[in-house]
Amino acid sequence: MAGVGPNGLPEIVSASPISQLGRRQYGALVAMRFRMMVNSVRSVQGAFELSARGIAFVIYSLMGIALGFGLGAGSYSMVSSEHFQYLAALLWIVFLVWQVLPIALASFQEQFDLSSLLRFPVSFGSFYLLSIVFGLVDVPAILGGICCIGIWTGVTLARPDLAGWTALALAVYALFNILLARTVLAWVDRWLAKRRTREIVSALFLVFMLSLQLLNPALRSGARYQRANRQTAAANHQKIFKEIEPWARATHQVEPWLPPGLAAGAIVQSAQRLPNLALISLAVLGFYILVTGSLLGVRMRSEYRGERLSEAPATRKRTADDSRWLIDGSGPVAAVMEKELRTIPRSMPLLFAMGAPLVTVLIISTVLRNTSEGGRPFQLAFPLCVCYALLGFTQMIFNNLGAEGTGIQVLFLSPTPIRSVLLAKNLLHGALFSLVAILAALFAAFRLGEPDLTLLATTAAWVLFALPANLAAGNLLSLTMPYRVNLGRISRQRGSQASALVSLLIQAFVIGCGVTVLEVCAYFGKRWLAAPCLLVLAGLAVVVWMRVLAHADSLANRNRDNLIATLAKTE
Amino acid sequence: METSAIQTHGLTRTFGALTAVQDVTFTVATGQFFGFLGPNGAGKSTTIKMLTGLLEPTAGTIEILGRPFSASALDLKRQIGVVPEGMALLGRLTAPEYLRFVGRMYGLERETVNRRTEELLEFMQLADERRKLITDFSHGMQKKLALAAAVIHGPRVLFLDEPFEGVDAIAAGMLKTMLQGMINRGATIFLTTHVLEIVERLCSHVAIIHQGRLVANGSIEDLRAGVASTLPGAVSEQRLTLEEIFLSIVGAGGQEAAQELSWLA
Repeated sequence: MAGVGPNGLPEIVSASPISQLGRRQYGALVAMRFRMMVNSVRSVQGAFELSARGIAFVIYSLMGIALGFGLGAGSYSMVSSEHFQYLAALLWIVFLVWQVLPIALASFQEQFDLSSLLRFPVSFGSFYLLSIVFGLVDVPAILGGICCIGIWTGVTLARPDLAGWTALALAVYALFNILLARTVLAWVDRWLAKRRTREIVSALFLVFMLSLQLLNPALRSGARYQRANRQTAAANHQKIFKEIEPWARATHQVEPWLPPGLAAGAIVQSAQRLPNLALISLAVLGFYILVTGSLLGVRMRSEYRGERLSEAPATRKRTADDSRWLIDGSGPVAAVMEKELRTIPRSMPLLFAMGAPLVTVLIISTVLRNTSEGGRPFQLAFPLCVCYALLGFTQMIFNNLGAEGTGIQVLFLSPTPIRSVLLAKNLLHGALFSLVAILAALFAAFRLGEPDLTLLATTAAWVLFALPANLAAGNLLSLTMPYRVNLGRISRQRGSQASALVSLLIQAFVIGCGVTVLEVCAYFGKRWLAAPCLLVLAGLAVVVWMRVLAHADSLANRNRDNLIATLAKTE
Repeated sequence: METSAIQTHGLTRTFGALTAVQDVTFTVATGQFFGFLGPNGAGKSTTIKMLTGLLEPTAGTIEILGRPFSASALDLKRQIGVVPEGMALLGRLTAPEYLRFVGRMYGLERETVNRRTEELLEFMQLADERRKLITDFSHGMQKKLALAAAVIHGPRVLFLDEPFEGVDAIAAGMLKTMLQGMINRGATIFLTTHVLEIVERLCSHVAIIHQGRLVANGSIEDLRAGVASTLPGAVSEQRLTLEEIFLSIVGAGGQEAAQELSWLA
């Protein structure tokens, strides 16, 4: 046992992550996190937040169990029928869950900022280990873990002799996914912290969107064309498939060397009694882990050396005239709108919220198009795409004060009513949503064909209802359940599960209203009636929104302490 | 036995095209109360971050207690205490919970942590607030807690970034006594503050940084003599205050410009 120095410190210092000091530090961190959780129950909001986390955990776990059950059934079926070649597809699904969800949920999950530990004698090994361990209890890891257990159960039930190899392959695969998710988020944050790289990423994003659009006519002829001439369309398909066949074949050759293919390969090879080949597959997967771990190590090393993303300055000083006003007018509404408009291009979470739905609309429309029969897409496909555009604005609308930080005090100090501030934010968010909704509608129309006039009118009426309804609920939630947002990064946000849960429930209600009205009208054979009905709801929503704005100041004053404490005080 | 507690040579830190600290070289002797001064944005906090291992220098070397920081960072971090710029408190913990957490992070034994936590809470007059969350503390109470956390492991070198900001006169007096006691027992204190009266009263030596460069370094008496020698006879015979020395070295800045703001009441 190490001795104790004159000031009470252990005499031996080791940089090893499992040294005595390291172990004491892990214990201290676990105790600290536990105490913080217990203390959060002291306030009503904290208790609500913890309950929401519990509910979210149950929901995510149920989702994971459902997915894991499906994957388990799939793997059981594949293994028992000796169709091992499809096993990789299941692992690709796990890969998508593990890698896509962290970015989608980053702003809703609370993550501890490890850089606050740097003033303590924390070794790099401990710092690196902690950065991985802190990611083990997030939603994607829970879902991914349950999926892996599902696959293991399916394979083991079908072939009990493969239990050991499958467990080993899936454990290595899980480790790879954990490291990759951490690495991707760490590097994305780094790239997006600088103006130049942010511009490059935005340009790549645009190119990606345009490419998807150009890919569409190349892969499929338009819906009208299909209906008019099926034979020509079939001939076109054959021609296109012939063109992409070499690519598909090349992909098929590469796939076994990618991580999901390697993990699946190890299971298949063990089933074929080829343990040496299975070990080679795992070794190659280990190489991927080494590369990913090293890339994460490079990033973590920079953070360990004190790099602060917010301190990364632009490499070139701006020479543009900053005195130019983006929005004319000297009133507070114009001032707040101007501030928001200048903030958005510098804010990753907000840009992500606006851009991600458009990509998802493309994916949704492709899926719906491919599953449609006779070239006629699912009738709600068009409104569904527009709905999704609204989901991207959830965080922006339902926590519209979250990015103010200490600036919230300026809002309370200035002789401007809070309702003017909220009005300005609502107008800007409404305008941005309209822009994104129009783009989503255009994308959806381009891929699925133009909707009929009734559906178009119904969708437009639903938007007129959904927007004020969301803004009204968003203002209420922003004043009563705010949480601080760091506009400089996507990951390691302090998000609120309670706010996320309530806002998603409200979204579900608003979408449910639209679907119910449309389906009820369709049931009675009067689909045209849906638009007028939704317009009535829209009128009501506008009245509610105006009422909420009218009471915003009294509500803000009642919650002033909480707002300032949450947004401006010490973490 | 080491002769200097802190020694830097050619310390430089750049952020892209911006050079925040350039070629800073100074020495702080063991047992010295050292004041590090400079106007806003001069590079004080960046220097402190480099000295405490929160930021790696772009160039130059740092020695703490006679050992290069880069080679012995882990051990040296245990020998230093820091009250960082933003205090780095955890708002959802109580004061005893936070102090215990910090003590354990430095690897202290459980009994030691518990005993020192109680002593520090008593000394900082925070014992009555032991059930309150830190987020509900006043700014001054948070400062006292940050200082308690910085000394719980008995550091030999203490870095203080604006420790008296927002602290009431009674607490400030008590803190000064405590810091002076540490100096008497051989500790070294590196202090940055904008309150020049405090520096004048506590510090024996000061360094002044301006636009990332060290523009003055020495005992207050040496600086006083140096500045006085550049002034006209009648003025130089008066005993200059540290504020006058500081303004003389760094310049009056925007004072003239402020006088032009005729629209101010």
